[in-house]
Amino acid sequence: VFPGVRQAQWLTKTKLVEGLPPAVQGIVDNPALGLQELEERARHVVSHARLWDTTEVAPRREKYCPVLFENLIHICRLMSGKYPALSKRMLARNCRIAATWERESILLQVRGLSGVLMNSMTPIPPVASKEEILATTEHVLETFYPIAPTIDLQEVNVYKELNDTGQCFKDGYPYSHPHTLFFLESANVRTDRFRPEQLRAKMLMFAFGNALAKARLLHGNDPKVLEQPVVVQSIGTDGQLFQFMVFQLNTTDLVSNDGVKNLVWIDSDRNLYERAQCVPEVKKGVVTKPAGISGFQPDTFKKFLALYLHGTV
Amino acid sequence: MAALGAWRVLRPGRRWFSETVPGAPLPPGGPLYPPVVASITAKSKAAKSRRLQRFNQRVHAAATVEEKLRLYGKLQRPKYTVYPQTFALNADRWYRSFTRTVLVPGMPPRGAAAKPPVGAAGATLEAGKSQEPGAEAPAAPEAPGDAEAPGAAAGAVPSVDIGELRSLTCDALLQESFYQNKKRPFLYRDQDHTPGPFLTQLVSTLAASLSGRNPLLAASSLDLSPEVNYYWHHGEEVVVHGHRKGRVDPVRFQIDDNPHLQIRVPKQLPEVVPLESDLGDVPVIDHKPSKLPLFKKQYENKVFIGSKVADPCCYGHTQFHLLPDKLKRERFIRNRLEDQIEVVYRSNGIASLFAWTAAQAMYQGFWSEADVTRPFVSQAVVTDGKYFAFFCYQLNTLALSAETVRNNPRKNICWGTDSKPLYDVVEDGNVKGFNDEVLIQLVHFLLNRPKEL
Repeated sequence: VFPGVRQAQWLTKTKLVEGLPPAVQGIVDNPALGLQELEERARHVVSHARLWDTTEVAPRREKYCPVLFENLIHICRLMSGKYPALSKRMLARNCRIAATWERESILLQVRGLSGVLMNSMTPIPPVASKEEILATTEHVLETFYPIAPTIDLQEVNVYKELNDTGQCFKDGYPYSHPHTLFFLESANVRTDRFRPEQLRAKMLMFAFGNALAKARLLHGNDPKVLEQPVVVQSIGTDGQLFQFMVFQLNTTDLVSNDGVKNLVWIDSDRNLYERAQCVPEVKKGVVTKPAGISGFQPDTFKKFLALYLHGTV
Repeated sequence: MAALGAWRVLRPGRRWFSETVPGAPLPPGGPLYPPVVASITAKSKAAKSRRLQRFNQRVHAAATVEEKLRLYGKLQRPKYTVYPQTFALNADRWYRSFTRTVLVPGMPPRGAAAKPPVGAAGATLEAGKSQEPGAEAPAAPEAPGDAEAPGAAAGAVPSVDIGELRSLTCDALLQESFYQNKKRPFLYRDQDHTPGPFLTQLVSTLAASLSGRNPLLAASSLDLSPEVNYYWHHGEEVVVHGHRKGRVDPVRFQIDDNPHLQIRVPKQLPEVVPLESDLGDVPVIDHKPSKLPLFKKQYENKVFIGSKVADPCCYGHTQFHLLPDKLKRERFIRNRLEDQIEVVYRSNGIASLFAWTAAQAMYQGFWSEADVTRPFVSQAVVTDGKYFAFFCYQLNTLALSAETVRNNPRKNICWGTDSKPLYDVVEDGNVKGFNDEVLIQLVHFLLNRPKEL
């Protein structure tokens, strides 16, 4: 019914900021990282995923979306040759997340397979300064009166309030800090895929769920304002369009509508390339669209890499 | 009617039976008549060889590699499907005879190609005896090409921190088997539950951390579950039944392989021994391939290395194969076939690597009539999650069809080790009995690169 992000914001008591936070933007603009040379590799990688990876003429989205993601992660991981601290990361596929919280006397729960999760040994430092966090107290959450905020959510009798990503990993796991969540919309049929707005809402809910579970693990179950905010990033894609998100959990006091709010920075609808033509399109003997990748945007790849490097560089 | 026939021949301007264009100018001093060649359409051996020659010329004259591959695999006929991962008894002997491969136990000594040919012969004699992969490391200081640091002492490659890599390996193992809460494995899908993800994690983290030392890895491309296919002819047989009964046909084979993981690189790995080396004998088997058992099927003849010809990463570096549940060690032990356990690893290594290297060679334009001018080298690791076996393959010849193999002295060579466990058991968040030798051999494999890099 709604733009899903607005609803998700109310449910997670979050204030939205457009664009990526300055810390991440700083990594994108930093020339010392050598992101220019990687542009050529990124172009090859996109061509591989979209054009060359199959014995048929063109790969389907179920094939090329995960392959593109794996290739991009491979390039990012190869940076650990230059920055050895990057090897303190581990990818976990198919992990289940569960988190419960109360919002104005409504009990909400996030559960499910949250795609691919990247964990790291060290947490990401908080992205917003203390002043910005305090400034969110003045921000008023948008309500949807007369529509109840829980519209379109599934009402379920929950008998066990499952609460931690410790459900996903046992104690003593060395890579204990969730770093980035990746969501791949790889269904072939368009109606099976999430639309960009819904995808962003899903990313926000799961990032919030992970951050909340981690905060409760670190600081206990009492609702309070966090001294050390927990930062979790999230990237969602359908193989061409990328959504980037950085979520900072400032408070676990979610029952009331006042007080410090959580912050989320969203950079939405970034195309990595315009079109990928497997076979040249020929009209009346003239090649109108040559084969290959056209309209490659290196900035999108740089943001992907910057979100990967964030927290270590 | 001889007079009538003679009158017809003598009549000027009428050519009923010859092939030349009437009125074509004769070359001065040259032959007066066109060359007498066999017919193209007759049902005779000469016509068949002429058709074969025309086909070979067409393929030689193809403009692009894609066109060559298309013409090479154009004709579809029933062919034997060769499965690299097979339960067939003594499959590695059969596969060696199909692919003209010599199996040399142990790993090739590092930097053997850098020595002069006399030294290389000595080094390959060493490779002929059984050698532990761990014993490679002490042999490494003698090889001039492997100077990571001068005076490398015993054990590990010194500039690589083995402790760091060991902890990365243990972390990957523990995450997949212990820390991450997963549901119970599906029936007969144990390999997808733990060893599969562990192998993926292990290779990706090791390749990333070693990319600083090996610039080839930094430019590599990692494929998850790629497809590798190769189609070839070897030997001859008589068609048994059908409308083509009685004709002599080449025996066709096709390998369709799905490695768990593979690394492709833009530059070729260096040769291990020179192109014309002879390190052993190829087994000759008198039976038909269907006795293995192998079965015939007719479908598309594919040649594929994992990505299309346009990809710049067109050479192979290392493949990683995961053995399925059907070929578990416990099954063989239960059926009292302990000696076949190693056969499984060997046949997988030989068949997969032959298909991969041969497809790489075809991508460069070589085929059975145009044999390779430089050897193609690739490596593979075959594992079931705990036991690892290492293989290195050098493709010296693609000429395996009945006409070309008669005068072909070259043989392909495969070096392989027995399977060794990486660890003993994982208990309570600890890995017990970690075996450093296997890790060191894996690191050697990943660090392999051409001399100039």
